Amino acid sequence: MDRLSSTFSALADPTRRAILARLALGETSVNDLAAPFDMSLPAVSKHLKVLEGAGLITRGRNAQWRPCKLEAAPLKEAASWIDFYRKFWEASFDRLDAYLERLQSADATPDKPKPAKRKRRKNDRT
Amino acid sequence: MTAHESVSVTPFTVTRIFNAPRDVVWKAWTEREALEEWWGPKGCAIEVETLDASPGGTFHYSMRMPDGQIWWGIFHYEELVKPERIVFVNSFSNDAGEVTRAPFSESWPRQVRNFVTFHDEGGKTRLELRSEPIRATAEECAFFEGMFGSLQQGFGGTFDQLDDYLATQK
Repeated sequence: MDRLSSTFSALADPTRRAILARLALGETSVNDLAAPFDMSLPAVSKHLKVLEGAGLITRGRNAQWRPCKLEAAPLKEAASWIDFYRKFWEASFDRLDAYLERLQSADATPDKPKPAKRKRRKNDRT
Repeated sequence: MTAHESVSVTPFTVTRIFNAPRDVVWKAWTEREALEEWWGPKGCAIEVETLDASPGGTFHYSMRMPDGQIWWGIFHYEELVKPERIVFVNSFSNDAGEVTRAPFSESWPRQVRNFVTFHDEGGKTRLELRSEPIRATAEECAFFEGMFGSLQQGFGGTFDQLDDYLATQK
């Protein structure tokens, strides 16, 4: 599985997303991490294994206290894809909005000649 | 990989109000000149290869990505009820219009069905879009759920601290 796929697969679970949000506040032990969730330690550990497998977190080496730490790189990559998709629709709809605006203003002034058809330029989408 | 029709996935939804009557917005969704004006990813110029906005017809287009790559995409139209509703299946494709994997991931669903509905709001149009993968494998469903679950539950909202954290990790 490519990295993006394993990242999104790990993010598919809302509990795991909540764990990541908690870890954004800082390193945490498994016990502290489990506290806000109505969940057994083994269940939490299972989620942590998935997150660790996807490279989203790392665990400390200390056998007594193995704090979990967020790894930013894969999460940033995922966030940028999410942003890409969100902006895909937002930007398209912004352009649709502007296009409809131009159409309507052209229709509203029938006495004037219609504005020259706007030629689409390769780099006008910023 | 086997397909799991039964795997349930949270659909992606988005709503937007446009300051134009439904028939005008409808035309913008179904005419070539209009689609070239507005449809496509940010920063990408699209070119329409073919457009036949009718049930069974296709919209085949190319997208020039900011890095110079050309990505191809295709809609397969399933239903058009003027001016109320368009249902189409969107996929990445090659230049011949054959459905392919996404260029960026092996787990992006190959086929995403989109339901677009146009609602009259006193001369304006409320547009609702709902997207969900079809004939998706378990991997594809997990990818979709991970991406859109994160998108809609947000890396914003309750995930503000995650946003802040990511912002500090340049």
